[in-house]
Amino acid sequence: MAEYRTHMKIIGDILETTRDDLQDGDGASVTYLIRKANISHSRISAILKTLVSQGLLEKVDNQGSNKYKISQPGREFLQAYNKFTNFADNFGLSI
Amino acid sequence: MEFLLENILNLVGFLVGLAIGIMSYVGFRNTGSPTLFRLTIAFFSISIGFFVIWTGYMVEDFVTKSGTIERWIQTLGIAIQTVGYFFIAFSHSIKSFFPKSSYFRSVGIIPLFLVSSVQLEHIFRSVSFILLVYGAIETMLSYLENRNKGAISVSVGLGLLALGEFLGWYSFVFPDSILYPASMIIKIGGLVALFIPVSKVPLTKIKFDEDFE
Repeated sequence: MAEYRTHMKIIGDILETTRDDLQDGDGASVTYLIRKANISHSRISAILKTLVSQGLLEKVDNQGSNKYKISQPGREFLQAYNKFTNFADNFGLSI
Repeated sequence: MEFLLENILNLVGFLVGLAIGIMSYVGFRNTGSPTLFRLTIAFFSISIGFFVIWTGYMVEDFVTKSGTIERWIQTLGIAIQTVGYFFIAFSHSIKSFFPKSSYFRSVGIIPLFLVSSVQLEHIFRSVSFILLVYGAIETMLSYLENRNKGAISVSVGLGLLALGEFLGWYSFVFPDSILYPASMIIKIGGLVALFIPVSKVPLTKIKFDEDFE
């Protein structure tokens, strides 16, 4: 059975992908993120727009195609996200 | 003896609730998670509830010297704690959608046996008991899914608080028995069990991020 993911978990998955699975130094493409984060194009577009506006991701224009890199605030957010995921796990909850 | 235990229980409850509440709030500020916001409300409520009762005992001891805490203060404190227990259970119910949950329905009939009068304190204690039992069961089920050892401690903590709440309510039937001191000792144990896994969460390098909303 497919695992239900909260909005926060999806954001965590996207940020982790941009941090850990960069194809090259230029960032991850939308197609790559869709595959790795397992999410539809329409949904990921809205989330990426929010993450860029919040400063958690950086949008890089690479030869006509948009790629995304995790920013320093994004790394700090991810660190906090991982710590408080464990905290919520203790209460049997997902953040 | 009971006065001392009451003071220890209410102070421990206040401090544990405050510590977990602050940690949840730091988490909420850093991640914006609604779950952590609900936990913040839950544990601040629990903390304030214990503090109100502790204040009631202090006022009785140093000001009124009536020999017993004002009933309305005790009821108010228990009511505020019940709000906190509600938010813990509510967080789980969102996760599992409780109308489908047969064991929740099965414990839902317990108030019919527990509420012997219309006194608010009795009602709040029985509601708290149900919410705590529900939270304990859900947390244990979560442990069975994720095998996170901290969840055992929290589940045992909520279970002990539920048992303490039940014995505290039942002590109205046998007012001079050992039930009430036992309920307080059990609740102190429950609060300590709640705090153990939370105390192991490293908070180094976690800070408030003023820019992130």
